Amino acid sequence: MAGMTVIVRTIARLLFPFTLLFGIYIVLHGHLTPGGGFPGGVIIAASVVMLLLAYGIKRAETKVSFLQAEVLESIGGLAIVVLGLLGLLLGVAFLQNEFPLGGLGQLFSAGNLPLLYLGVGIKVAAGIILIFYAMLFAFRGEEK
Amino acid sequence: MDLNYVIAMLLFVLGLYCLLLKRNLIKLIIGLTVLTDGIHLFLISLGYRSGGTAAIVSGEMFSDLPGFAARAVDPIPQALVLTSIVINICILALALSLAVYAYRHYGTLDPSKLRRLKE
Amino acid sequence: MIPHAPILAILLPLFAAFLTPVVGILSRRRDIKRAREWFAIAAVLVELLVVASMLPTVWGGQVLVYKLGGWQPPWGINLAIDGLNLLVALIVAGIGALVMIYSFVYMERDTGLDQYYTLYLLILAGMMGVALTGDIFNLYVFFEIMCISSYALVAFRRKWQSIEASIKYMIVSSLGTSFILLGIALLYGLAGSLNIADLAQKLGQVSPSAVIVPLALFVTGFGIKIAMVPLHMWMPDAYQAAPSAVAALFSGATATVGIYAMVRVVYILFGAFAIGTMLATLGLLTMVLGALMALAQRDLKRLLAYSGISQIGYILLGIGLGTVLGIQGGLFHLFNNAIYKTMLFMIAGAIVYRVGTSDMDQLGGLWKNMPVTGTLFAVGALAISGVPPFNGFASKWTIYVAGIEAGQPVFTIIALITSALTLAYFLKALNSIFLGQRPKHLSDVKETPLPMLFPIMLLAVLCVVFGVLPQLGIDLVRPAQEAVMNSSGYISEVLRGV
Repeated sequence: MAGMTVIVRTIARLLFPFTLLFGIYIVLHGHLTPGGGFPGGVIIAASVVMLLLAYGIKRAETKVSFLQAEVLESIGGLAIVVLGLLGLLLGVAFLQNEFPLGGLGQLFSAGNLPLLYLGVGIKVAAGIILIFYAMLFAFRGEEK
Repeated sequence: MDLNYVIAMLLFVLGLYCLLLKRNLIKLIIGLTVLTDGIHLFLISLGYRSGGTAAIVSGEMFSDLPGFAARAVDPIPQALVLTSIVINICILALALSLAVYAYRHYGTLDPSKLRRLKE
Repeated sequence: MIPHAPILAILLPLFAAFLTPVVGILSRRRDIKRAREWFAIAAVLVELLVVASMLPTVWGGQVLVYKLGGWQPPWGINLAIDGLNLLVALIVAGIGALVMIYSFVYMERDTGLDQYYTLYLLILAGMMGVALTGDIFNLYVFFEIMCISSYALVAFRRKWQSIEASIKYMIVSSLGTSFILLGIALLYGLAGSLNIADLAQKLGQVSPSAVIVPLALFVTGFGIKIAMVPLHMWMPDAYQAAPSAVAALFSGATATVGIYAMVRVVYILFGAFAIGTMLATLGLLTMVLGALMALAQRDLKRLLAYSGISQIGYILLGIGLGTVLGIQGGLFHLFNNAIYKTMLFMIAGAIVYRVGTSDMDQLGGLWKNMPVTGTLFAVGALAISGVPPFNGFASKWTIYVAGIEAGQPVFTIIALITSALTLAYFLKALNSIFLGQRPKHLSDVKETPLPMLFPIMLLAVLCVVFGVLPQLGIDLVRPAQEAVMNSSGYISEVLRGV
């Protein structure tokens, strides 16, 4: 799939770091402000997809390949399950909050919530990039 | 607010109409999305408390938690809707992939023509 | 009991599903053959062990309540396992393990097997989640996981027929699950809670006219999933287009989970034993319509799909009668249906694997080539028609007696006639496929490979065992039947200490 005009490519290249940063901000502050893993992951994926649409799939594949997205998605899912299993290892219930709770309104607080959101954010971002790649492969005639 | 519920049910009926009567796969998928959006609007409006504030605790509210809890809107329907939106993204992605595949290989998006073409 | 067994039963397939792509990539890099198949089989066998370890505790009369995150119900999500849950979890784990062993050989000619095993483990995790949870929104989320994986599995072969069947299935089933979501929204507005036990308690104080709409939405939503007439349109196409291993899994496990969800919501959450007569009537309609449509089919998998619809009708009839004997018969028939329906679909898959088609007009005289498969098909056909000494006879007899005992002899007569119809079309199928003249091009068809034959033989042995010793089957489902009729016990166990 070919890229788009010079205007679109320039704007996409300029906006990419800001959108990525915004997405990471929403993921990290999930326990303090509205948002969290799901919308943050979608915004991170949107920034990569924006580059993908502007530059064409060949250049996007050099940045984030299909294999990398698959492995990242699995790692994200495994991170969530492993964090929950930590509660089992410590002898209490699944997903119990045993991390330090910190003060109200601080960034490093609320136990394992920011870590869970990080796992969710990685998984959602990788998943949506994977969905786009899969749909584009159908256009190219390959089957994945 | 009653207007919310009326509009939610209107969206539900519109989505149902699209789902039952349209002849294009993409329109069927859009109808499904509108239907579920109607249900989400209904669910969020259930949690509304008139004159309520957002359910986020900031520093100065920490001293009066019971009063805050009495004034804030219900956060549970918001969590339910968030989960449901993510589930619907998955269904949308799968449906669109199948539609792209059908169009690419068989040239048509009409579900009634998709019946037993190769038979 | 293995500690934390309830949550491990759900987490194990989920964990394995997330690891399968990584295992697949590693096995291609290091060139280890079939690593992911062995990994998946190990996962389902450990899963079966975990579920079986919960048997002694729950059958001793205790309701296992597991609080996620340590939060007390009704504020937190909890898993609540009584006799009914455990029966369904056992069926799902057992059928899942057997079909996985079967697909080791059956799916080896397909490409994209990474995705197949991931989807298989995901659908297993979803079914376990529905079977074990005690929170209605959690049930909806796991139900959706199960449904989405099933849409993808039906379209797996990417042929024309599969895509069309999957699109039709997806649209109808998404409509059904959105009805369930609307029902949950209405219940939350009425009672303010999402925990099944808590809702059951609070709905006792709400006037009956307010719960009619949520009840109707739930029955419709779950009815679409179990292919209750008149919501069954998607099922024959989907079962015919899916790979046979997948169809076996659906008919054995997914339909079971759908019926469990309906029983749990209608009988325990709403306490609505009064609509049992309506369920029994719909079951009767489903039974008769399934059998009549099956008589006219020329394709083996479509015939088996309509026959599956018919068996679901029997189960609904038994459960809808509401008496002790009726519910026992219904649940025993649920168990038996999982056994022989899975077996029959696996045999159909074996025929497709060796011959390449399931169209009965093109088959014939295969008894000489596949004697073992033919015998097993005969066993399955006799079991599903309710002929002694197989298990179908035991459960159908219980339902017949329950019908007469509940004062509805008409139901029993219609059920008897449908059994005769079932025997008729299965004998016709047996004749078309295995007896009669063998066409020239089928003369060198070989017998089914052993790894595929092993699960089928195991299920056939179970058919005979539960037919010769029906008391074993009744004892197996008695904890489940007591759980259905004892909803106040369930509520008090879950909310104890709150």
